[in-house]
Amino acid sequence: MQPYQEFLAEILIDEAALQRRIAELGAEISLDYRGRDLILICILRGGMVFLVDLMRRITIPHQVDFMAVSSYGSGARQSAGHVRLSLDLQTDIRGKDVLLVEDIVDSGNTIAYVLEFLQTRQPRSLKVCALLDKEERRETPVPIHYRGFRIPNKFVFGYGLDLDEYYRNLPFVGVVDPDKYKPEN
Amino acid sequence: MQDYHEFIDEILVDEQTIARRVAELGAQISRDYADKDLLIVCLLRGAITFTADLTRRLTIVPELDCMSLSSYGVGHYASSGNVRVNLDLRTNIEGRHVLLVEDIVDSGRTLAHVLEMLRTRNPASLRVCVLLDKKERREVPVQADYVGFDVPDKYVFGYGIDIDERYRHLPFIASVDLSKYRPPA
Repeated sequence: MQPYQEFLAEILIDEAALQRRIAELGAEISLDYRGRDLILICILRGGMVFLVDLMRRITIPHQVDFMAVSSYGSGARQSAGHVRLSLDLQTDIRGKDVLLVEDIVDSGNTIAYVLEFLQTRQPRSLKVCALLDKEERRETPVPIHYRGFRIPNKFVFGYGLDLDEYYRNLPFVGVVDPDKYKPEN
Repeated sequence: MQDYHEFIDEILVDEQTIARRVAELGAQISRDYADKDLLIVCLLRGAITFTADLTRRLTIVPELDCMSLSSYGVGHYASSGNVRVNLDLRTNIEGRHVLLVEDIVDSGRTLAHVLEMLRTRNPASLRVCVLLDKKERREVPVQADYVGFDVPDKYVFGYGIDIDERYRHLPFIASVDLSKYRPPA
């Protein structure tokens, strides 16, 4: 596996800045949902690292559940109609305060679909917490209630975000230099 | 929702001790798989925190995947240990070096079934890294290759491990005083 130092263009958000911002988000969420029946929903697999760090910064008791979605077809022509649910929630969210936790909002197409789908189950409230917001790429509007960082339209990796399924375990968000990155296969 | 202070029995492993041990395991796994292409499989949902922290302590670059399992039946039938796969791996593990990450092993029945199932897919190697080992409860001979901590036969929570789907967010591992704990409605 290629060491990331060979293709890292820059560290966009370092570990300390990530953890500081996540602590702020956690405090804000703990305050806003005090006395409520909060459930955090994570879309696998990218959002897992963010979810784990965020939940540890939330001081009120809450539940955690997971969804996995995949797309029918491939490539950039994804739309809501092409999203398939490969893992559904174990929890009934009716009447609960649901917070969808996402690593990155890009086109917004998948999240818009997931929100629409979750809404049909009649949660008491439904909001979005996104670590990274790549607003320039937005195709479908998504309301983001808790935002970690706005980022430019660059190819990012680390902190749960993969490059061909690797490098999710880096503790920072980095930018790839595509000229220097060599995929394995 | 009950505050955990109301029902905590004792802290079995505190946050600093967990962090230190996770770093040791990360170093050991990095050495053992130094020149290998490692696939880490996180068993949802209990192992999420352990996996997110452990992978960040690796100096090698692993691929990450998740599985979600549940036991068939309830109560007395659950002891068959047969598992149902709610979410299967996205990765083909044939010829791969696989490390399964689990939060806790007690009877060992579920783990034995998962290992048996994964072995049929012919990985190059298959090992287990478990945060907590409740050896007293073992019913089938299954042994983890990497163990975080040996724990007594107590009902534990925190660091990803839930009680009735809550309290996963606490940064330590504690035991419950069942006489004081009230399940949510």
